[in-house]
Amino acid sequence: MHVMFGFARRETSPALPLEGRESHEDENKAFVERVCLPFLLSSQNEDGGWGFRSETRSRVEASAWALLALRHWNFPTSLTEPISRGLRFLEAAQLPDGSWPASAESREGCWVTSLACWALLGVEEFSKSAGHGLSWLCADQPGESRLWFRLLRRLQGGRRVSSQKDFYYGWSWTSGTASWVEPTSFAVIVLASAVANLLPEAARRSRFAEAMLYDRMCEGGGWNCGNPMVYGVPGEPQVSTTAWALLALRRHAERPENQRSVQWLEQAWPKVPSPTSLALAHLALNASGRGSADLGTALRKALNDSEMPWNVPTAAWATLALCGSRNWLPSGPKQ
Amino acid sequence: MPQSTAALIPPFLRPVSRVAIRRVTSYQADIAAVLSETLREFDLPIRDKTVLLKPNLVGFDPLGMMNTHPSVIAATREALLRLGAAVVLIGDGPALERDTQAVLESIRMREFTGPLARIFVDLNVDDVERVSLQTRASRLKELYLPRTVRGADYVVSLAKLKTHHWAGVTLSLKNMFGIVPGGCYGWPKNILHWAGIDRAILDINAAVRPDLAIVDGIVGMEGNGPIQGMSKAGGALIVGDDPVAVDATCARLMELLPEKIKHIARAATLLGHIRPEKIQQIGESIESTRVPFAVIDAFRHLRGTVGSTGLEA
Repeated sequence: MHVMFGFARRETSPALPLEGRESHEDENKAFVERVCLPFLLSSQNEDGGWGFRSETRSRVEASAWALLALRHWNFPTSLTEPISRGLRFLEAAQLPDGSWPASAESREGCWVTSLACWALLGVEEFSKSAGHGLSWLCADQPGESRLWFRLLRRLQGGRRVSSQKDFYYGWSWTSGTASWVEPTSFAVIVLASAVANLLPEAARRSRFAEAMLYDRMCEGGGWNCGNPMVYGVPGEPQVSTTAWALLALRRHAERPENQRSVQWLEQAWPKVPSPTSLALAHLALNASGRGSADLGTALRKALNDSEMPWNVPTAAWATLALCGSRNWLPSGPKQ
Repeated sequence: MPQSTAALIPPFLRPVSRVAIRRVTSYQADIAAVLSETLREFDLPIRDKTVLLKPNLVGFDPLGMMNTHPSVIAATREALLRLGAAVVLIGDGPALERDTQAVLESIRMREFTGPLARIFVDLNVDDVERVSLQTRASRLKELYLPRTVRGADYVVSLAKLKTHHWAGVTLSLKNMFGIVPGGCYGWPKNILHWAGIDRAILDINAAVRPDLAIVDGIVGMEGNGPIQGMSKAGGALIVGDDPVAVDATCARLMELLPEKIKHIARAATLLGHIRPEKIQQIGESIESTRVPFAVIDAFRHLRGTVGSTGLEA
């Protein structure tokens, strides 16, 4: 079977008013070209991959984010040399079962498989590798999906500290452990490119996973890393996980849960002025049609003022956010 | 390289441990002076060495009751530099929040320690090394651990005095969960929960046994810790060269029975002393600094009674 995957067409954020939009977009793009892209390009290792920070060893997660940012920036032009080297790094890091490990020494696949597949999507030369990874992803079951675990949970009854519905599950960080919001969101996002006739299991798993995400939403909107009940009492949502869940559920933008979560995120980001949280908030709000010039300005300022060394994922997320478009998110499959 | 195999010694072969309790009731106190004076008594082998401080940074904490207070972190760093350490790094890998910088900003860390760029390491995204576990108390056979941790000459667990929803208490031993990198295991490091928290604590501490343990008990947390509990004034810093003895002392200070706290009891088989007669107390006595910490119902059995000879089951 010839599997092809595609990204959505390039489009700009519709929420910004026409007046002033161009200048903000110009400032954002200039910042990306002047600061973010040089950082990403200079951080690439000899082996073609990226570490989490400059001069650290290549890791799949950091490499996938850097590649998504660079590929998106170059879209739709042909692949540049750094991108080709990066894609080859990812291909070489793939394990025989189709998954990817978190670190080069490990032989066990994990959540970064979603990210590696995502970075490889749409490149004909690597479509087999991406397809193999997506198949692994569809077969990868979290620990709580197992019968014995469900039985145990039922027997626990009142001792449980959470009220989640056990028949919904998504994806875990590492093999055989429980579902969490972030790895589930990554898988849902990337499997959007491989539904229906290509990978029917992807559609089934994604439906379950979306239900899980809604089940795990905090009451007032937003998500924390795993459960609205933290140690038995209502927990606080987090910017980063809320951003990923909103991106995963973006095709349900009209649902009240999405709208409550967008509102929560809009109120939360000014209180968490770090580059990582601002970049992720910006990505999610752009994709929800609620992009904000203020958020772009705050992100650029946070990056400029940051005293801590930049890390590669944050620079990649900032690049994607400041581009203001959504074509970095996978669309449905090409038939 | 921190102690590892050499640290696995059964209690009957291990020399007496020393634990100091210093009364400090405010974060505005001259904590660096208190710690400098205390640490001199331990004759630490840190001259010209690289020291790693591992605080407990859990999440956003504007009220200062969840994380090791930044004034204690800064004071410890200053005291160790005064004692001749060449480099004192601060490193942690928060378990619930990927945005470590935001956590640092929420506690205004830089205001206490100065610029962080060269001294703070986010252990979640550090380079890693594969480490075979020697104790195999949990289901884990190996862990990928940060190079900064493996490369440090001397490791200090800089914990907070707190109760814990799953482990009973979180002190210097449980604090070492934070060296397990999120970049390999996710946020949270759920593999440790599935492996069994109490047993995983032993495995991690056997792989990287802290050379020194300091617990910030100036203000701790009681009840539904480590993040949903209530602030509790403990009024003390607890310092020692044996993390098991420090945690056992902290538990007694909280009016809890360390022998009934699974991970402390388990660690006492190989990593340090739990029995009072094997712990030489320095500074204040447990009796004079004891403050009862509330626990959730599941841990009521940890509560001891204060008898004529001390804390009794």
